[in-house]
Amino acid sequence: MATSLGVPWFPFSTKTLQTLRQTLPLSLSKSLHSKPLLHPSISRSPFTLRLSHRHLSSRTSASAGNNSASASGGGENYDFDLFTIGAGSGGVRASRLAANFGASVAICELPFATISSDTAGGVGGTCVLRGCVPKKLMVYASKFNHEFEESHGFGWSYETDPKHDWGTLIANKNAELQRLTGIYKNILNNAGVTLIEGRGKVVDPHTVSVDGKLYSARHILIAVGGRPNMPNIPGIEHAIDSDAALDLPARPDKIAIVGGGYIAVEFAGIFNGLMGEVHVFIRQKKVLRGFDEEIRDFVGEQMSLRGIKFHTEESPQAISKSEDGSLSLKTNKGKVSGFSHIMFATGRRPNTKNLGLEDVGVQLAKNGAIMVDEYSRTTVESIWAVGDATDRINLTPVALMEGGAFAKTVFANEPTKPDHRAVPSAVFSQPPIGQVGLTEEQAIEEYGDVDVYTSNFRPLKATVSGLPDRVYMKMLVCANSGKVLGVHMCGDDSPEIIQGIAIAVKAGLTKAQFDSTIGIHPTAAEELVTMRTPTRKVRRNSSSDEQKVKDAAKSST
Amino acid sequence: MARKMLRDGQQEEYDFDLFVIGAGSGGVRASRTSAGFGAKVAICELPFHPISSEVVGGVGGTCVIRGCVPKKILVYGSAFRGEFEDARNFGWELDEDIKFNWKKLLHNKTQEIQRLNGIYKRLLTNSSVTMIEGEGKVAGPHEVEVTQLDGSIQKYTAKNILIATGSRAQRVKMPGEELAITSDEALSLEDLPKHAVILGGGYIAVEFASIWRGMGVTVDLFYRKELPLRGFDDEMRAVVTKNLEGRGIKLHPQSTLTELSKTDEGIKVVTDHGDELIADVVLFATGRAPNTKRLNLEAAGVETDRTGAIKVDEYSRTNVPSIWAVGDVTNRMNLTPVALMEGTCFSKTVFGGEPTKPDYKDIPCAVFCIPPLSVVGLSEQQALEQATSDVLIFTSSFTPMKNTISGRQEKTVMKLIVDSATDRVIGASMCGPDAPEIMQGIAVAMKCGATKKQFDSTVGIHPSAAEEFVTMRTSTRRLTVESKI
Repeated sequence: MATSLGVPWFPFSTKTLQTLRQTLPLSLSKSLHSKPLLHPSISRSPFTLRLSHRHLSSRTSASAGNNSASASGGGENYDFDLFTIGAGSGGVRASRLAANFGASVAICELPFATISSDTAGGVGGTCVLRGCVPKKLMVYASKFNHEFEESHGFGWSYETDPKHDWGTLIANKNAELQRLTGIYKNILNNAGVTLIEGRGKVVDPHTVSVDGKLYSARHILIAVGGRPNMPNIPGIEHAIDSDAALDLPARPDKIAIVGGGYIAVEFAGIFNGLMGEVHVFIRQKKVLRGFDEEIRDFVGEQMSLRGIKFHTEESPQAISKSEDGSLSLKTNKGKVSGFSHIMFATGRRPNTKNLGLEDVGVQLAKNGAIMVDEYSRTTVESIWAVGDATDRINLTPVALMEGGAFAKTVFANEPTKPDHRAVPSAVFSQPPIGQVGLTEEQAIEEYGDVDVYTSNFRPLKATVSGLPDRVYMKMLVCANSGKVLGVHMCGDDSPEIIQGIAIAVKAGLTKAQFDSTIGIHPTAAEELVTMRTPTRKVRRNSSSDEQKVKDAAKSST
Repeated sequence: MARKMLRDGQQEEYDFDLFVIGAGSGGVRASRTSAGFGAKVAICELPFHPISSEVVGGVGGTCVIRGCVPKKILVYGSAFRGEFEDARNFGWELDEDIKFNWKKLLHNKTQEIQRLNGIYKRLLTNSSVTMIEGEGKVAGPHEVEVTQLDGSIQKYTAKNILIATGSRAQRVKMPGEELAITSDEALSLEDLPKHAVILGGGYIAVEFASIWRGMGVTVDLFYRKELPLRGFDDEMRAVVTKNLEGRGIKLHPQSTLTELSKTDEGIKVVTDHGDELIADVVLFATGRAPNTKRLNLEAAGVETDRTGAIKVDEYSRTNVPSIWAVGDVTNRMNLTPVALMEGTCFSKTVFGGEPTKPDYKDIPCAVFCIPPLSVVGLSEQQALEQATSDVLIFTSSFTPMKNTISGRQEKTVMKLIVDSATDRVIGASMCGPDAPEIMQGIAVAMKCGATKKQFDSTVGIHPSAAEEFVTMRTSTRRLTVESKI
């Protein structure tokens, strides 16, 4: 029988509970990777501590000393088989699966807030509250603007131009986030995972302290994720990060976005679509370092055509606030003034400070990332880590994969390594990017002889809308084996299109197999199965001059 | 280079190595690829017109002029209504009544079609294919007769003749049938109807229902069966039905029309249930028939089936060795990309020295209703019929993320069908936004026999709808071989 222990540690106020009751979902949202919820409402306290059938404990706070001593001999003396710190994508997945495998599991997370800090977070984590989900909702909102423009060519007209009310969007977005955080809590609850609100800290290899209360566990999983990182320049206190940018009280009329990564280009598209003036400052010549070079060129061009102003090879040096409240950004090239907001999208860092990790012997990389082996185990045998805290590939589905593999390894007696090869990803810029596998540069580096297929076309919709939208596609094929090494696309629906392609690339399919697939007509995606002639053939032995001649000949036809 | 050919024991010179009748998807592809293999090729086609008949057609064929392309343009146009509705909860303030100008869309559509028609002509010219305008007929195993615009008749000889004349929309026999239109006219109507009645349950019927509804037309859709889209997965048919209804289309299952007549208010439509409606447009979307009637096939003894489709072998050869046929005129699988495949295989077989059979397995297709449906491989019903081991069904029905804010009450539904013995994915379907774009990659994976395990080992792209296809962990049901009837 499960034992109920509510009162001593129960962290929710009555008010919170009422809110949760109101917002608990009747239907399951798309963004959840989970079985449908069978209990749409809660009549009793939903966060009652449920101990597993095998591991009963009469106390929630246990002495660390007693338990850690018996680490190797069965789990009877631990409060939990698994204690997870951080209820984001990786932590929730790992906890839920571990519980399904019969483990007694607790998970701790900071209280809900849209903006994260040392004292605020929320069940669902970055993805649900401060990342993928709110970002995508904002992208949807902003993309309508482009659709209004497109609609003219299709015969639609407006007496008054569409206006955007910022407050409606933010209120509806936040209501959805509340709903989702409720769903996530429910998922944990239904899986029998004990949810503890508060800040978790590792005390010893088998003990976690949450705001002073101690819990012992046979295994500890660190899934604390990452947080935006801003450089220390004068006036940085006037800048916002992506957390704040997703929850601004009013629309930024003129915003400077510093950074060239995916977060920077996504927010540039969002604010541009919602009718702000957007300036992007990047250190390099192009956005999206690490992506395929031609994709980088293409997306930059398309974004410029939609009205985003790029300031290339400019590094931020200082921010100043004028008397009228407007902000100026000083860079190595000069000063741009009149900004209502300055956003820094200059990278994220693992949330590993003040977790007590170093003290118990968990090794961290220089940037604070937790070092793990292929099974996500840290340098301390009983402590594991998944997701952005390990800074491997910082994507929700990767954290899910790592969490799933961890649970199988530790609780299902099925050692499983997460496979980080051919992980597809998307950038929700406007137009968006989808990609899987190697870039052209990586493919040439690794395989030498590579056939490059490209296609740059005006989609059917643009021929009628009259807008300058285009689509770019690239496929990289190993010249010797015929294997497709990478596929990159920028244009409408790229993320949706690349998912199925990723199955094929992951399965190691050849170009001939792509070509034997019949197209779906008329789609953009059919282009990926009808690329018959390589744009260029890169050969290890041919001189680079020869290659350039070939490229020039191609591009002039 | 016209080649000297040996026939009936004597030297004979043909005008062309290949003469193609019909410059649609299949004909143009076959001509270009054959010319690419060094053959001397001519192609004939009727003059351009958006509405086809026995005397008009146009380079590009059904797909470009009266099918896929103009249809998709209209779908784009009509889908904006849903976008306007969805935009409001995302904070957009729009006119209560956003105006739609059908004539403007029609004009822009026609311009684009004409542009494409020109591109196709250039493609042929650039491949050194001789283009002849006029109506082509078979005059013998190696002879084609072209009636030109001025009425004069020109004869050409060819070593091989390829018939690629496609198909045309059919009308149903009933009193007043001449008052109805087909999809050809529907794509080019002078005025947008206020009230349209559509007869038919196939993809053309549901696509036009969606198009017109999006443009604000009152639409009544009549079909014989319980659900539209016969041949598709039953569960997906039900999803499409629900969506059509949800978007305001009035459905009349298990009913048909019996009589049309002209009245002052419009066309009076009588149904087999005895109901009467007044509509300003009645569309027959009741099937298409191969264009073989005026081809004079008897002259060479080319066999057709009951529907008028040209009978061909696996290499697209008719019973007359020098005459071949591809595309809708053979009524195999009437899709543009299939005609392209057949055309290419024909060229490889005849001029490339590489006998190639078109492969009809796992051909994906899409229905551009709003939201669209796309499928590849087997339906659940087909899977059960063909099963030699248990079949696993994975389904997912979810609210797309956009709808969580827009409030639109529409679910996206996905389905994977897996052979439990081999773990191979043998069928996939999806109804929801972007389904056709999503399904293309799934089709690549399936074409190569991907297993469910390979699907599952693929990491998702988050947040997308498509990621659901690689995260369906638990089967919804298992169909046992024994349950086969």
